[in-house]
Amino acid sequence: MPPASVFIVEDELIEAEDIRQTLENQGYTVTGIARSGELALEYLRTARPDVVLMDIHLTGTIDGIDTANRVRTLYNIPVIFLTAHADETTLARAKVTEPYGYVLKPFDERELHSSIEMGLYKHRMEALAKENERTIRVLANAIPDAVMLLDEDRHIIALNDAMARRLGLTYARTQGEPAVRFDGNGMFTSLDFRISTVFRSGLPVRFDEKNGEGWFEISLHLVERLEGSGQRVFVQYHDITDHKRFENQLKKEGMTRIEQNMEQFQILNDQIRNPLQAIMGYVNLDCVRNQERIMEQIKLIDNLVSRLDQGWVESEKVRRFLLRHYRDNPDDNPGTSSPAGDRRDAADVQRPCR
Amino acid sequence: MQLMYSVLVVDDDPAIREIFTAFLIQKGMSAIAVSGGRECLDLLKNQMPDIILLDLMMEPMDGWETLREIRNHPFAGQVPVIIITGKQPVPADILEYGGMIEDFIGKPLDFVRLVACLPQTLEKIRDLNRTAAQKQEAGMDPARIAEYTRLLRLVRITTTLIRRHKDKSWAEQVFLEKQEERLAVLHAILGFPDRFLAWDREG
Repeated sequence: MPPASVFIVEDELIEAEDIRQTLENQGYTVTGIARSGELALEYLRTARPDVVLMDIHLTGTIDGIDTANRVRTLYNIPVIFLTAHADETTLARAKVTEPYGYVLKPFDERELHSSIEMGLYKHRMEALAKENERTIRVLANAIPDAVMLLDEDRHIIALNDAMARRLGLTYARTQGEPAVRFDGNGMFTSLDFRISTVFRSGLPVRFDEKNGEGWFEISLHLVERLEGSGQRVFVQYHDITDHKRFENQLKKEGMTRIEQNMEQFQILNDQIRNPLQAIMGYVNLDCVRNQERIMEQIKLIDNLVSRLDQGWVESEKVRRFLLRHYRDNPDDNPGTSSPAGDRRDAADVQRPCR
Repeated sequence: MQLMYSVLVVDDDPAIREIFTAFLIQKGMSAIAVSGGRECLDLLKNQMPDIILLDLMMEPMDGWETLREIRNHPFAGQVPVIIITGKQPVPADILEYGGMIEDFIGKPLDFVRLVACLPQTLEKIRDLNRTAAQKQEAGMDPARIAEYTRLLRLVRITTTLIRRHKDKSWAEQVFLEKQEERLAVLHAILGFPDRFLAWDREG
C-alpha cells in the first residue's frame, strides 16, 4: 500500500511546516497546505488526499469546524482536528461533524501518527460498512418479495423497496428518526398477533392471505441477535396470486370432470336396468322353468345397481358440497371462513351410508 | 268384462318397448310404444291414451321435459302419467313433478303386477277427475281444485317413495308435513270425499 497522503489546513505557517516535516519523516505524503477554509475547499475540488488535518481555529470567513463539515459532506474525506485549547462549546460543535480524531497542540509525534492511522482505519471500515449496506440493499431489492425486519416494539428496522411501496413509505423516511412503527395499516390485519406468536415461541410461522385481488404467502422468522440486544422478526410477503389462480382453475376443471363422471354414472345405472327389465319381462312372458331362480338373479343384480345408486346419492351430496365451496367462492380459504350452512353440509357428507 | 284400456309406452330402449307392449296386449289392453318425448307429443295430436308409461333418461328430450309438454298439451293435458325409470328419484324432482304424476316406479319392476293393478289405478284417477269436474261445476275455484289434486298426488308419491326406499329424510326435503297440512285444509274447504286421502295408505 502506498503511503497515505495528508492535506494540512493550518493558518500558522511555522506550525504547518512543522507538521509537514513530522509527517514526511513518518513516511506520509503531504499533498499541500492551505491557510484558510476557503483555500482548503478550493484545493479539494481537484485533489483527493486520504486524510485532512484541520486546525479548529482558522482565521477567515469559515472556521475549521465548518470547513470539516463541508469536507465530510462534499468529498467524504476523513478529517482529524488539531487544536491547542478545546473548550466545551467548540468540542460539542466539532462532534457534530463526526471527526476521525483530535490531536492536541503542541502535538506529540507518536500521537499524531496513531491518530492518523486510526482515522484512516475507521474511515476504511465505514466505507466497507456502507458498501455492505449497499450490497444488502441491492440484494433485498433484487427479490420481488416484500420484506422487512421488525423489532419487539414493532419498529421497522429495515425494509426493501417492495415493502416500502406496500406500506406507502419512502426510503428516506424509514431511515430517519424516530423509527417508523409498524401499525398494520389495515393491510396486515392478520399479521400482528402472529408477530407476537413468533417472538414468544421463536418458531417460524407461514400462512396465506388475500389482499385485494392478490394472494400472498407470508413467512415470519425470528432473527436472533447478540445477547441482550433484543430479538427481531423477519417478515416476508411472497406473491402467490398466479399460483392460486392456477390452483382454482384446476379445482374448477376438477369439478367439471366430477360432474361429467356423475352424469355418466347415473346414465349407466339407468342403462343396466333396461336389460334387467327386459330379461324379467321375457321370463314373465315365456319361461316357466327356473323362473324363480332367474328372478332371484335379477334381484341380485338390481341390488348391486342399487348400491351404485346409493353411492351416487352420497357422491351427489359431496359434489354439491364441493361445488358450493369451490365454484361459488373459489378464493375462499376453506379453513378459515366456513359459514354455518357449509358446516351443516359437511356433517351431511360425513354421514355413513345406509 | 274388462274395459279396453289404451296404454302409451315411451321408452328409448327397444327391448322395453317390445316387452311392455307384449304384456299389455296379452292382458287385453291396447298398447302403443314410441321411442322418445318428441314422438310421444306427436302421437298425442291424434290419439288419446288412457295412461302414459314414461321413461326419464332419454335423448334429446328427457322424461321431465316430455311431462311438462304433455301437461301443456291443449287436448292431452290431463292424461295420467306413470314414470318408469332406472334412475333414482331425487327429492328436488319429486317436489317439482310429483304433483303431475301418478307414480314413480324404478326398473326393473314387476310388470305383471303393474298391469294387473292398472285398471284399478285408472278407475281411481277417473273417480278423482270426475269428482273434480263436479266440484268445478258446483262453482268451486278451479285453481284450488287443481292445487288440491296436485297436492294429493305429491303427498301420495312422497309417502310411497319413503315406504319403498325406507328413507325418512325425504319427508323433510319435500316438506311433507307442510304439504299435508295444505292438502287437509283444501280437502275441508272443497269437501272432497275422504276416500281420496286414503289412497296413499294402499300398497
